[in-house]
Amino acid sequence: MEILRSLYEVVWFIVLIALGVGALEGYFYYHFKFHDRRWFFPAALAAFPLAALAVSAPLSAPSFAHWLWFLGAEAVVAAAFRWIVRGRHTLPYLLLAPAFVGLALLLVYPFVFEFYLSFHDLKLTTIMMWKNTGRIPFVGLDQYIKVFTTSPLSEVTFWALLGRTLLWTFTNVFFHVLGGFALALLLNNSIRFKGVYRTLLVIPWAMPQVVAVLAMRGEFHATNGFVNIVLGKIAAAFPFLAHLGVGPVQWLSDWPLTTCTIINIWLGIPFMMVVILGGLQSISSSYYDAADIDGATYFQKLRFITLPLIRPVLMPAVTLGTVWTFNNINVIYLVTGQAGGTEQADILVSALYKAAFTYNRYSYSAAFAIVVFALLFFISVTYLHGFDAAKEER
Amino acid sequence: MASVQFKGIIKKFKDNTVLNGVDVDIKDHEFVVIVGPSGCGKTTLLRMLAGLEDVTGGDILIDGLRVNDLHPSKRQIAMVFQDYALYPHMTVEENMSFALRLRKTDKGEIDARVSEAASILQLQKFLKRMPKQLSGGQRQRVAIGRAIVRKPKVFLFDEPLSNLDAKLREEMRVEIAKLYQRLNATIIYVTHDQVEAMTLAGRIVIMNKGIVQQVGSPIEVYRKPANLFVAGFIGSPTMNFMHGRLSLEGEKLVFSNADIKLTVPPYLLSDQKKHDGREVTLGVRPDDVLVGRDGQDCSDKVDGVLEVCELLGHRENLYINVGGMRLLATVEAFFNRSPGSAVQLCFNYRNMHVFDKATEKRISD
Amino acid sequence: MLRKMISAFNAELDSLSSQLKDPIQRRRLFKFLLVHLVIILAAAVCVYPLLRIFSVSLRPGDKLFSTDLSLVPAGATFKAYASLLKDTMFLRWLWNSLVITIATSVIGVSLASTAAYAFSRFRFPGKKAGLILLLSSQMIPAGMLILPLFLMIMKLKLMNTYLGMIIAYSVSSLPFSIWILKGYYDTIPRSLEEAALVDGTSQVGAFWRIILPLSTPALSIAFLFNFTTAWNEYLVARVVLFSSKQYTWTLGLFELQGQYITQWGMFAAGSMLVTIPVLCVFLYSSKWLISGLTLGSVKG
Repeated sequence: MEILRSLYEVVWFIVLIALGVGALEGYFYYHFKFHDRRWFFPAALAAFPLAALAVSAPLSAPSFAHWLWFLGAEAVVAAAFRWIVRGRHTLPYLLLAPAFVGLALLLVYPFVFEFYLSFHDLKLTTIMMWKNTGRIPFVGLDQYIKVFTTSPLSEVTFWALLGRTLLWTFTNVFFHVLGGFALALLLNNSIRFKGVYRTLLVIPWAMPQVVAVLAMRGEFHATNGFVNIVLGKIAAAFPFLAHLGVGPVQWLSDWPLTTCTIINIWLGIPFMMVVILGGLQSISSSYYDAADIDGATYFQKLRFITLPLIRPVLMPAVTLGTVWTFNNINVIYLVTGQAGGTEQADILVSALYKAAFTYNRYSYSAAFAIVVFALLFFISVTYLHGFDAAKEER
Repeated sequence: MASVQFKGIIKKFKDNTVLNGVDVDIKDHEFVVIVGPSGCGKTTLLRMLAGLEDVTGGDILIDGLRVNDLHPSKRQIAMVFQDYALYPHMTVEENMSFALRLRKTDKGEIDARVSEAASILQLQKFLKRMPKQLSGGQRQRVAIGRAIVRKPKVFLFDEPLSNLDAKLREEMRVEIAKLYQRLNATIIYVTHDQVEAMTLAGRIVIMNKGIVQQVGSPIEVYRKPANLFVAGFIGSPTMNFMHGRLSLEGEKLVFSNADIKLTVPPYLLSDQKKHDGREVTLGVRPDDVLVGRDGQDCSDKVDGVLEVCELLGHRENLYINVGGMRLLATVEAFFNRSPGSAVQLCFNYRNMHVFDKATEKRISD
Repeated sequence: MLRKMISAFNAELDSLSSQLKDPIQRRRLFKFLLVHLVIILAAAVCVYPLLRIFSVSLRPGDKLFSTDLSLVPAGATFKAYASLLKDTMFLRWLWNSLVITIATSVIGVSLASTAAYAFSRFRFPGKKAGLILLLSSQMIPAGMLILPLFLMIMKLKLMNTYLGMIIAYSVSSLPFSIWILKGYYDTIPRSLEEAALVDGTSQVGAFWRIILPLSTPALSIAFLFNFTTAWNEYLVARVVLFSSKQYTWTLGLFELQGQYITQWGMFAAGSMLVTIPVLCVFLYSSKWLISGLTLGSVKG
């Protein structure tokens, strides 16, 4: 445990020093060409750790071990910059540096930190301790075991969430592509008001998602929502349908996942439509002329010309759409996230968010997040391999 | 104005050698055209002189000063790019004055130089326009104007006419020739068009596969091509080549292959005995293949069959089969014979070229 | 606009009905009607919720929970708008959103512009790895990074501040912005920079004086993308901001709808005020956004 703790501190200090001190040194190297002077390297080795230590001293009490880390990291950084600045690639690296430092700090570092958290126990009762001393109890793999054995929320299990997520992703992407493809085909005809139709059809995508989802949630309200009003009127007008079970439904409490799915399909179709329409419009009409001469029917043309030719556009869009849907917290959280909201609609990522911020189980949700990420990573790698293989065949 | 020297220039892109030891001396006030087929390294050479490419080996000197590691703007050169590279977000005037403004030249000085260049190139009316609003020829002028304004030591032209249509190209060619007379500057001009090279150049540098093939005045490279490549590259229509073997028959040196047998006169190859048994290539320009009236006074005539006639106007191209060889002859229009008829032809030996088959070098005087 | 549409529609119908006798023409008419019918239906589904919000926002206070479906309700009034601006901190929320969003976008675009330039114009060791890192960063679930970001912001004592929000948002759209800008830089001929070099700028000078001014369209698209992403963000804001004075508009609106008594009228009015400008900006820029979205993947 102590070893892991100090290992973590190694990582922490190396990251800190590499970024902070390294940027400063790089600046001096570049502007004053210090690397040409013989005394620079030893001077940097001695001077910069002192400066870095002075800056970071308030954060934690310096010790002999810290000194060693400083020197080690310093040597690494100095060597790296020496190599970079001496080489012929100074400018591109300098241009990239701000963006990649930003990404490292706000994307990579949080990722590493999450990994660290998942082996510790940070929750509502230990967070004050962490705030004050920076220490959290180390628990090893406990959190991971809990992910698979206990409920992330109050009743639903991990496996139920997983199944629900897969179902949610598949249903959504399927209807996005189907709906988007159908609308794109219709819009691809030479019809009047194409621009107007297109504009109207992308509105769900263009609206701020919070507004769109909350508005749609209102439409599914038990008594005042559009859906139930219409269903009620239908049932009243056609009694035989009412006998078959058509009538107002408690959407938000009885069918939350269905409601979320319908809302998300409504939200997602426009993006697919626009992408596919772009693909359709890039297909030269001469293919269709040739197929007409060959005597192809409408569906044959669809099958043998349209589909293969929009594949290059469709595949990335489907990939993106799958990842987005898998990771979509917005819709489910906005529909069910209020106090007393149901758990029946939660998928992996929304349960993750709720576990962290409704139930305040930080480390637990970190472990959960790592599991979800591993899952997503595994799925995408498999998928991309399949995609690449298909690409090679052609 | 300045001289330019390339000393053993080598350029490699990873393992790919583009230039392999280029040595050229360009004197002050000279108009040098570098010509060669695409991919011969001529543009790379120019870009290295401009400082846009690193030099792998060798030295580039401007006015005796080694400029290998000098920033492009410090080399006192100006370059006209193939696609003109006019800054789309600046007016013509701003384009032309950009370099001077960067150097913080005095405002009055800038105006004076821009208006001078504009008057030389008749651009006064367009100074306030954007490049987008100009025609191809006008853009070309602006690009040249941008170079003139800077008063550089050396002007570099990188295939400046290749984006213009044929008629405009001819006009601009004359313009550039006039400009040279007026500026009296050192100009290095890269092109793949041998007509541009012949008409503009004071001296021509012919390159192929990263090696300088010949340097000389247009007349020299036309009259005395140093090797097979130059002979085939310069001159239009292309020179006729005949492969065969030289042998000594009595006192006479005879060229022969399966289709033809010719006596090589001593003024072509002086030391005749030395060439006995040599494999050679004989080159004759189409103008020097004499047919019909032109060839009436010839002594040794060759029989051939007329294959195709191409009427160009005042001249006519005749494709004549001599055995298995096809020779091109250019004669005065009209050559009144139908294809398929037998013709007799002979050669103007004074303008004939003899090349060694193995080394491809010129061996005739 | 609408009248023009209808008259054009009528004209089309007239011309077609005159040719009804021909069976081929009849099929064409059938197809024409079908296509328009389906599209109009779909468009209605897409637009209807927005119209409903509009209609709810016009309802007088006592009829908020009616089952009335008409678009302009009886006794329509702008009272909800007035009370939204007067009784809630809506304007303050908009201001908060604006500050955070603009700061985020400026940071995001400036970081992306130089990085994209490096990717577009230079060859250097690690270029491909960098591009792959950018693409794969899109795979990391956003929900996953909220927790560590939240903890970082807490540790830095930036909870409930603009700065905390800006830090959390600043790199979220970076990979996408870099892709868009790289694609655009790639279309600018290199000879422009070379001409600038010969004219006496440094490489950085050429970027600053030539490439950046020429890339204004792409820069504004990247800016708009950063802007809309941050403008519409909800999940991070919810955990970082906790006093209603610091709320962004998304939190505020959710609060209006989520309190024990739902402020339907005010929620709808607020939604309309926020949606209309965003909608306009989005529709204007959607063409470029899409080409940016598909560009990288199609080429790769």
